[in-house]
Amino acid sequence: MSNYVGEPNPRTMFLEGPFGAGKTTFAVETLFAWLEADIPPEQIVITVPQRTLARRYILALRSVDRPASGDVSIRTLNGLAQDMVDIYWPVVAPEYGFSDPELAPRYLTIETAQYVIGRFVDDAVERGEFEAIKATPQVIARQIIDNMGKAALMDVPYTAIPELLTQAWGPQRARKRVLAYQTAGQIAEQYRTYCLKNRLLDYALQIELFVDLLKKPPIRERFYGQYSYIIADHVEEEAALMHDLLVEWTNRAEGMLVVADWDGGFRVFLGAAPEGIDRLREACDGVMTMGDSLIPEPALKALQQEIAHGIKPEAVEPVETDELGYSFAFHNFYPQMLDWVADKIAWLVDEEGVPPREIAVLAPFLSDALLFSLTYKIEKRGVLTLSHRPSRALRDEPAARTLLTLTALAHPHWGQMPPQPDVADALAQAIGDLDPVRAQLLTKIVYRPNSDPPLTSFDNIKPEMQARITYRAGQLYDDLRFWLLEDYPQRYEGQTAPLDHFFSLLFGEVLSQAGYGFHNSATAGRVTAELVESARKFRQSLYSEGASLDAIGNRYFDIVRQGLLSALYVASWRDELADAVFIAPAYTFLLRNRPVDVQFWLDVGSTGWWERLDQPLTHPYVLSRTWPQERIWQDSDEVEHQRDMLWKITQGLVRRARRHIYLGISDLGEQGFEQRGPLLTVFQGILGRHPQTPDVDNTDHE
Amino acid sequence: MNSGPFAHLNQEPKLPRVLPESPVEAGTLLPPAFQFSQKTLQDYVDCARRFQLNTTQGIRWPAAESEPIDEVEHFMEQGAQFHLLVQRYLNGVDQELLKPADPLLARWWQHFLENPPPDLPEAKRIPEVMLSMPVGAQRLVARFDLVALDPGERIVIADWKTSRSRPQRQDLAARMQTRIYPFVMVEAGHHLFGGAIKPEQVEMIYWFAEHPTRPERFTYDSRQHQANHTLITGLIDDILGRDPESIWPLTDERRHCRYCVYRSLCERGVKAGRLDSGTDDLDPTLAAGDATLGFDLDDVDEIAF
Repeated sequence: MSNYVGEPNPRTMFLEGPFGAGKTTFAVETLFAWLEADIPPEQIVITVPQRTLARRYILALRSVDRPASGDVSIRTLNGLAQDMVDIYWPVVAPEYGFSDPELAPRYLTIETAQYVIGRFVDDAVERGEFEAIKATPQVIARQIIDNMGKAALMDVPYTAIPELLTQAWGPQRARKRVLAYQTAGQIAEQYRTYCLKNRLLDYALQIELFVDLLKKPPIRERFYGQYSYIIADHVEEEAALMHDLLVEWTNRAEGMLVVADWDGGFRVFLGAAPEGIDRLREACDGVMTMGDSLIPEPALKALQQEIAHGIKPEAVEPVETDELGYSFAFHNFYPQMLDWVADKIAWLVDEEGVPPREIAVLAPFLSDALLFSLTYKIEKRGVLTLSHRPSRALRDEPAARTLLTLTALAHPHWGQMPPQPDVADALAQAIGDLDPVRAQLLTKIVYRPNSDPPLTSFDNIKPEMQARITYRAGQLYDDLRFWLLEDYPQRYEGQTAPLDHFFSLLFGEVLSQAGYGFHNSATAGRVTAELVESARKFRQSLYSEGASLDAIGNRYFDIVRQGLLSALYVASWRDELADAVFIAPAYTFLLRNRPVDVQFWLDVGSTGWWERLDQPLTHPYVLSRTWPQERIWQDSDEVEHQRDMLWKITQGLVRRARRHIYLGISDLGEQGFEQRGPLLTVFQGILGRHPQTPDVDNTDHE
Repeated sequence: MNSGPFAHLNQEPKLPRVLPESPVEAGTLLPPAFQFSQKTLQDYVDCARRFQLNTTQGIRWPAAESEPIDEVEHFMEQGAQFHLLVQRYLNGVDQELLKPADPLLARWWQHFLENPPPDLPEAKRIPEVMLSMPVGAQRLVARFDLVALDPGERIVIADWKTSRSRPQRQDLAARMQTRIYPFVMVEAGHHLFGGAIKPEQVEMIYWFAEHPTRPERFTYDSRQHQANHTLITGLIDDILGRDPESIWPLTDERRHCRYCVYRSLCERGVKAGRLDSGTDDLDPTLAAGDATLGFDLDDVDEIAF
């Protein structure tokens, strides 16, 4: 069902509605109508706030039904900015104050940016300037970088951030926080100066340069003129700056479709400005509304309304029906709740014939411990799982640990000799047939951390011990030892190679050869590839040519070993499409835009469904164009925004469920604290209006 | 609505053109939305196993492709910078601002300015063009460094090569790139050309940054077009007909394995081949695959997220 209000033959159209109403389907239809009308594909651009939201367009454009033709661009704001900065770097770099602008810029990732700013943060922490807030140096660094990005997306100078935060904090609250804002501002300036001096481009600088380029009339005309047909999807998740670009395009485009989801705005922590869509609606010639979601069954639509009433009783009426499409179970302890979830999933798959892929398990946060436990319990029942977990430290991957230990052994002058158990573990991983017991035995004999070289030959071991370890394992050990201590150093004539090259050579010439532990291991290949890529980016983006490779390698080794670098696990397409239960934080699931038949909401009593992350140095709502300057952020604002976010999350989740939602409720949470969060209160209200009995736990667990 | 960009609202809605996202089954060979390219088909021609490991199984295997590893890296980086430099130039950035500091890049740039690819049509010059077309049950994509054309008359595909050595003409002629680029241009470039393109109107030119006065030109005709059609559809059919669960054939040209990252997985060698070896009749630049032909547009993500 849709209705349209506006010009009879609109040039620009605003399309809105709930998730699942058919908006993107209509957008794809529009795209193909344009292509069939011989609009040159190069003149069409589709904008999305993040990669996952482009999936349906990519699938459609790569369908074999599409005739031979040119390329339709799909871009995020960052993609548009990077296109422009790449081309016009020589124009903008000298004006912006970069040193040596004739050289190429070096792009920073979140991690390399954190590393660069880290030195300034550490100094301030040591001086006690962040005593007022409880946060690690890494968290402080991340929030300062976030603030600079948000400022760029608001199109205000990053130097204005401390003042904006201070005004919202108000004079009545502790002054120490204001001092922390000021210190954060000073660090931002030091960091920016460093970036300009070393031609480092972080996200904020890319956006700022892009905005600067658009102020130059010829470049501005070129930018807007390159596309005359625009589809902008999920504009509710875009930043204010993107809304500016889109409003400008509404004046210029020959055809433009702007698509907004009513319940969106989940990326507000990343700078999204959902309130900005009103400007876009007004700028378009007509507005089409698709008001009804086609996905949930009636019982779930009723549940959606009941939850909405529970959160905003003044705005939404309760329903009369008791058919509400959900079940729940109370448990005293968290592990019991997880057992119930796993049992229920096994029952759904085995007895009810629900494909695992049609089940999602969602939690407000997903710790490594929770993920491990849940995965283990579900897979033990014979059902595959797929998770989009928060990043874990690279050093926690066994293959990475092995490479790091061997790196330390090959660079004895770093003075970072690993403890004996680490060496034993590395040898057990590296040498195919060497079990942990024999690896310990071998290590005990051959490893001399205080000697040079630190490893002795297998040939020097007593024959009876050689037999116990096995000659085959001994030969492989000796070959590895020779490579680390003789072959590799000789090849580089005693100099240190870039660490990424070292990893690559060690992997290719030894560890992945037949007989070694990485041979035929796709996981080891993937982890090593991540380590190689990460070390290369670290070297290339942070150090100029001519810097000491030995010092760079040593520093990189240090930060990986401290757990400061994350593994960037990207699931393969086979994993992504596997028939597996999806386990993820609720936000991640919402932004995947894929509905499922059945959802499990874990730990409904947790306040995590309601509270935003404690971010003392930044603020998603205050750092917004719509927040009135000089207004103080009150507790009532906090409650109002959290209520609004709880509304968005729950409405968004229910709209992405087709058949049923299971609620897991545990009296004590993962950390052992009693759970009485607002989402639980909402459901208690629903139970009061529509009584139902808890789901039966029909499996005994010890 | 009876006119304008939303006139299709009056028409009967068509089925959404979205591929189904059903769970992947054991026999599924290629990722959803996969498109063949000159690079993937060259992989298959060189070694079916390499294609299988790289494309259908997506196995990352970070061994060195060729040595010396730091020189290869520098060449690749400068290759990427060179492509960007030309793109800036063709986008109208003032030539005075395009002065590379790196000596290698500066030399290539000077070569380009002094000896650009000769006899290019002048009416339209479009850098970084991507075209695609259906071939049977899959799509084939081509990404061109530069398309220069006189609409309705003549179209030239230019490709920048930043490899150290200059491959022989017969080797280049056999490359999938030389077969696929003109083929896709004829089939999918009509909107650029202003109408249907006859094969005889297409030409391809390789321009070598290290050997700027010796570009290699390839004319094109209907006979080649038909042969390329047969070759490409045959290769794609061959790939799609393979059993995804079995190990696909390894190349008989074992020397190629020296320049393949999977050599340890296939148990075909320990050390990477050297780019400067020249000890036998194998041209390392071609044996190593496209990476050592210098940076190629296929090396970057198609979508600038």
